[in-house]
Amino acid sequence: MAHPEQATTSGRPTHAHPNYILIWVFLAVLTAVELSVAFLPWPKTLIILILLGMAFWKAALVGLYYMHLRFEPNRLRILAIAPLPLFAVLVCAVITEWIW
Amino acid sequence: MATTATGTSSYTADHGHAHVDDRSFLRKYIFSTDHKIIGIQFLLMSLTFLLLGGTLAMVMRWQLGFPGKPLPGGTLLPETYTNNGVVLPEFYNAAVTMHGTFMVFFAIMPLLVGVFGNYLIPLKIGAPDMAFPRINMASFWTAVPAGLLMLAGFFVEGGSAAAGWTSYAPLSARSDLTGVHLGQIFWCLSLIILGLSSIMGSFNYITTVINLRAPGMNWFRLPLSIWALFVTACLVLLAIPVLSGAAILLLFDQTIGTHFFDPVAGGQPLLWQHLFWFFGHPEVYILILPGMGMASDIIANGARKPIFGYSSMVLAIIAIGFLGWGVWGHHMFQSGMNPTLGTTFMISTLLIAVPSAIKTFNWLGTIWQGNITFHVPMLHALAFVSMFVIGGLSGVFMAASPFDIYIHDTYFIVAHLHYVLFGGSLFAIFAAVTYWYPKMFGRMMNPFWGKVHFWLTLVFYNCTFFPMHQLGLHGHMRRIYDPTQYAFLREVQPVNVFISISAFCLFATQFIFAANFIVSWFKGEKAPMNPWLDNGLEWTVASPPPHGNFGATVPTVYRGPYEYSSPHSDQDYLPQNLPMPGAASAHPQPAGD
Amino acid sequence: MAHAAAMHEDVMLPPVQRAAGAGVYTEKLGMWIFLGSEVMFFTALIGTYVILRFAHPSSWKPPGQVLNIPVTAVNTFLLICSSVTMVKAFASAQDGLLQQLKLWLVATCVIGATFVGVQVYEYRHLIEKGFVPSEGLYGSTFYTMTGFHGFHVTLGVICMIFVTQKAFRGKYTQSDHRGVEVIGLYWHFVDLVWIILFTIVYLI
Repeated sequence: MAHPEQATTSGRPTHAHPNYILIWVFLAVLTAVELSVAFLPWPKTLIILILLGMAFWKAALVGLYYMHLRFEPNRLRILAIAPLPLFAVLVCAVITEWIW
Repeated sequence: MATTATGTSSYTADHGHAHVDDRSFLRKYIFSTDHKIIGIQFLLMSLTFLLLGGTLAMVMRWQLGFPGKPLPGGTLLPETYTNNGVVLPEFYNAAVTMHGTFMVFFAIMPLLVGVFGNYLIPLKIGAPDMAFPRINMASFWTAVPAGLLMLAGFFVEGGSAAAGWTSYAPLSARSDLTGVHLGQIFWCLSLIILGLSSIMGSFNYITTVINLRAPGMNWFRLPLSIWALFVTACLVLLAIPVLSGAAILLLFDQTIGTHFFDPVAGGQPLLWQHLFWFFGHPEVYILILPGMGMASDIIANGARKPIFGYSSMVLAIIAIGFLGWGVWGHHMFQSGMNPTLGTTFMISTLLIAVPSAIKTFNWLGTIWQGNITFHVPMLHALAFVSMFVIGGLSGVFMAASPFDIYIHDTYFIVAHLHYVLFGGSLFAIFAAVTYWYPKMFGRMMNPFWGKVHFWLTLVFYNCTFFPMHQLGLHGHMRRIYDPTQYAFLREVQPVNVFISISAFCLFATQFIFAANFIVSWFKGEKAPMNPWLDNGLEWTVASPPPHGNFGATVPTVYRGPYEYSSPHSDQDYLPQNLPMPGAASAHPQPAGD
Repeated sequence: MAHAAAMHEDVMLPPVQRAAGAGVYTEKLGMWIFLGSEVMFFTALIGTYVILRFAHPSSWKPPGQVLNIPVTAVNTFLLICSSVTMVKAFASAQDGLLQQLKLWLVATCVIGATFVGVQVYEYRHLIEKGFVPSEGLYGSTFYTMTGFHGFHVTLGVICMIFVTQKAFRGKYTQSDHRGVEVIGLYWHFVDLVWIILFTIVYLI
């Protein structure tokens, strides 16, 4: 997804649009794979890990390409992911209540 | 030099020219988008709730000091509240709950964040207003119905919420256990609405500090009050939604028959505690950080010295904001939670004492060998530091979970929380209100009555809350209606009496502050532009500042805000936006980080 | 940064007369920060679900037995499509193709509203079957998570209609289409949350 700089009349650099349709295909394929995996006779933990992995992969695609994080300044990218560790802290700490 | 930014950005649209102001009264003072007016609106609202919260505390202290005796004026209250004037247990529980709720959510938090966040941020960073002025207005006008809804609880059947300000489930979910149905529902709804107000405010503040600083106002030239308010806003942004979620789940348990927290159908009471305190601990840092920041500004000013260790002060604020997310379990040591998890929380809690200690030593370093002016804000700020240290020290004891076994849910905890919230936050608020009052209203508060209020408050406050440490160690539990029902507490009842009388005197003393506030608004000495000889940008504009703050000229910043007693200045202060004489310093530093 | 010869501040760049901030214009920064609070809100709800499921797994049924996966899978696909139409709308605005902007925005509104409609239809069907919020932890957590997501989508559709209306009135141009980008960020976020929710609510 290269983005060559092009100056416009306002001096704002632009880049060629990412291939949104290609991303859409990825998302559709991942969803279909998820649907298949969910009903396979594999160990439940493995299925959960694969499904979660695919869900986060899809979320990352949306975030990086549709929300343009791939092309934004680093400062904004850090701001965007800042809340995520908190989610991990709450969920992981509390899970220890029941599985430790 | 700097020219007006012309363009259609929302914040420059109407604020380029400060002298043209033909808005109607309604637009100027009621539905105002001006951050200064909104700050004052929050001030008036919060001070009202502070008075209400204090009144409820008087009801509590009457019952604790003189159990079974009729409350003065008690016969005027409905018979669901008092029986021949004697406070009923149900009303006592409501008073305990609503005292905490009003004080935390509708007094201290809006006083620090809603008032000073709004008032100070644009002025101190050199911006004409907040990034999103209309959302700012919406934030205030959302808080008002939240407050009214909380108040309405007193007037419905069953009375107001009565399950403690922490509203532990399943007690708070089961009206068959509390006798309160609508009141608890209102509590949840009110906080959900207030949450929206807080979130609107927080993302406004964060965006403003990041993107609207004046040229030259680099991150490490920001006043500590702004650093503190910025980190606080980040905490609000990320913690309040968790409370909103928890309150929604509780509301569903109360209304539509879910059982999130009720063990009857597989729900988990501990879930409420984890969710509430995951919010609740960042909340207490929300309640102290702005006070620390503003106290830093005031102490540097009073000592006529730069703040000692500015960088470590900033890092300490950030560290508190960061670490504050990992300590919530210390509120739950006795809940039956996994003890190993408890140990990890003990370690993280002990760690978080370190940045606060760093800040304390830096305040001491600031006043060391300073040319101290004991103006009223300085007195309050110094009290803030000393009282906060006492509260912090009791916190270190409580952080040790073995010790907490002994004093959890006793008056030792009540002493701690009041030392940090009153001794800390409220003294900081008194300092800040007195300090920025001239800028807000164009008049000085009366210094003599300010000093009378300060000294009487300091004495009565310590008489009220210090003995509570002793009571707690003796085993006096929290939220109890009649301590004399236990023989082992009867022997310390004189302490309760002493505390109650001190509390009544403390409450009465606050009317001096209230009178000073009101009378000075109309009759106070007219304030100059910079009465405290402070370096901040807000002191370079009129008192009160015009709509748009800095007019057509965007200020340019050349230095940090703590250049007191600088060798470069012939006075003992050096404003941030004053270019140095001589060409080399007359150009702003490159606007980088 | 806009160069000195520009007569007007470029509103789709960071503010000119200010110290260096996040590197983006203020409205976009504001929306990203607001989305941080939304992450925490769904953290509370999803965290609750995870905790309750660990504590009391017997309350849940295997995937597909209660909830209609095929219909919801199609609905998920629809929501993803609406993200495509949204980003195509934004790209059109960036390229100055204002007619296409309007069409893509209308498509987004329609698909978004359809998503909500299908969810409502699903809810009615489930309630008829007796699967209600008070029916155990499975029901409580299902309706809370998907319900609040649906609420956010509904708010998004309402705002999208406003933005579409503004587009039809010619209020967006190649040099100022901030509103399109900002509503787009919110819309993609709502899609992103659904991607997570669909997996953990329906497939696990």
